[in-house]
Amino acid sequence: MAGLIKEIAAHRDLLSMLVARNIKIRYKESALGFLWTLLGPVFLILIYAFFMKIVMKFPIPMPVLVSGIFVWQYLAMCLGDSSFAIIGNANLVKKACFPRLLLPLSIVLANFVNFLLSLLVMGVYLLIVGPHFGSIAWLPLALVTHLALCTGVSLGLCALNVFLRDVQHLTGIFTMAWFFLTPVVYEISMITPITTQHPILGPLYFMNPMAGILALYRTALLGSPLPDFPLISLSMLVSVIVFVAGTAIFQKLQPRFPDEL
Amino acid sequence: MSDIAIQVEGVGKRFRLRNAGGNTLKSLVMDMFRNGADTTRELWAVKDVSFTVERGTTLGLIGANGAGKSTLLALLAGTMMPTEGKLQTRGTISSLLELGAGFHPDLTGRENVFLAGAIMGLTREQMNRRFDAIVEFADIGRFIDQPVKHYSSGMYVRLGFAVAVEVDPDVLLVDEVLAVGDASFQRKCLRRMAEFREQKKTMLIISHDLNTIQTVSDQILFLDHGRVLGHGAPGKVIGQYETFWREAMSSERRREWGTREVILTGAQFLDESGRETTKFTWGQALTVRLHYEATTPVGPSVFGFGISDENGHLVHGNNTQIEHVTIPALSGKGTVVLKLPSLNLAKGTYLFSFSVHSADHRVNYHRLDHAFAIGVEASKQFEGICYMPSQWSQEPPSCT
Repeated sequence: MAGLIKEIAAHRDLLSMLVARNIKIRYKESALGFLWTLLGPVFLILIYAFFMKIVMKFPIPMPVLVSGIFVWQYLAMCLGDSSFAIIGNANLVKKACFPRLLLPLSIVLANFVNFLLSLLVMGVYLLIVGPHFGSIAWLPLALVTHLALCTGVSLGLCALNVFLRDVQHLTGIFTMAWFFLTPVVYEISMITPITTQHPILGPLYFMNPMAGILALYRTALLGSPLPDFPLISLSMLVSVIVFVAGTAIFQKLQPRFPDEL
Repeated sequence: MSDIAIQVEGVGKRFRLRNAGGNTLKSLVMDMFRNGADTTRELWAVKDVSFTVERGTTLGLIGANGAGKSTLLALLAGTMMPTEGKLQTRGTISSLLELGAGFHPDLTGRENVFLAGAIMGLTREQMNRRFDAIVEFADIGRFIDQPVKHYSSGMYVRLGFAVAVEVDPDVLLVDEVLAVGDASFQRKCLRRMAEFREQKKTMLIISHDLNTIQTVSDQILFLDHGRVLGHGAPGKVIGQYETFWREAMSSERRREWGTREVILTGAQFLDESGRETTKFTWGQALTVRLHYEATTPVGPSVFGFGISDENGHLVHGNNTQIEHVTIPALSGKGTVVLKLPSLNLAKGTYLFSFSVHSADHRVNYHRLDHAFAIGVEASKQFEGICYMPSQWSQEPPSCT
């Protein structure tokens, strides 16, 4: 792991260029450019707001919905893009010699930059609609855990997709299931009655790292009550495990990429 | 310490070929994490390859498609890992494995140049210093700030080549670059490669253009099916390669049939000095000693021959009957001699066919089609594949 970090540090110029490339390419020749990073989630928010609040009369406050969708969007973007991080750069992987980990990492980081910008926009929105910010000190922890999770998932997925293209198709379905297992369009407090029915249900729910991460964001941004610390720690622990496992899978498989592409 | 730039010892690279459709999810998952032998078919793209390249010299790699040349270069570039053996390279390596491999169509030339530089491990400042030279060498002017998807294929390749050479590596790997670009760019590339040699840089070059590779290489490595068949001085190894290739071609095209009462057992090709060879020169004599064996005694017979070009088109053919040479009854072993006093063929590879049949053409004893290949070198220039002795003159101008 230390060697890997050293290698990445030695290629930081390349990493920053790849990140810039990914950001540029996403918005090249689109009239609205970066706005799409915002418009995607905004439309999602409007759709969910319409169906949940107006059609189904589901009592979800707008800031909760907005924060949920924006935070979720980062993971969803990584899930969607990472499958192609290696197979979409087959030429580079086969013909050039550099740490291949930079390819998925640059996608995760490019999306992270977009996410930070959209977070800024969300901050402005929250200021306008008025409620109090929460304990903003939790934000860095949320961001780091979120980043680690997205990195781990992306590395693992893009490596496996080289050998088994079914991965990219499964990812879509998996993302959908994960979306509803995560308190994106509902509040954690709404499922507390269920998760407290049995001592195993709470930890089981927070085994989904996104549950804890989203709780941290909402504590930081909306001042929602922080769930029990052991539960949050569990989410963070799983994120770290995913990060380590994803990196390990990638590094184990990457020498064989050029043979398979 | 030593002057060895590249050292390759017993290197092999195995690819696993997947059986189409025969993969279960489980076998795939098992396969991914296992490195040993398994049930899937294997292909050794490179096997038991050993050689060294001294610093400042150029090694040319030749061989048919699929011989393992590109795999070997990929192993040296470090993009692939050898299955067995050891590779050592000293100094920085720049590979022209594929020109502009890392270029993204939506980015401008400028952005791609910096990205390519970073991929090759150069910092932004190092690239800044080289940028002007790159644009100048590539000769693409204002297009440098256009997305490369608007480039012509020539501009694309020129920019790719410019980046790779201006990176100024210790070792340059070149895969079939000389086949692309127009004549003036090719000359530019060759000049740049000559400069490289003067600067005592090491190069590995793949090319199918034997003339070029012979002039730029100090040593040639001849690969076939992943194995080294020849290594040494360019003239010697290229000759070896040409002979090998001719043999491969004749064995591939070879057809034989007949009643086999008389069998053509072999043919020796001799040049003017009586030396056995398959390499001939335009205008010189060629002699074939065609050996036969009559397993059953037969009556008057006819021997014939034909010469075809590489594509199988008949260039010339005749037989003993046409030339009024009577071959009486045949029995036991014997030899007939065919002499072509002056070989009037253009440069290239030609295939000889021979036949023996009864004088009344009723029985075809033995026929060997496209069984022997020869190479012809021609110093004489003319159009077409066959030279007709020709005389030109001008009549005195008329006064009308």
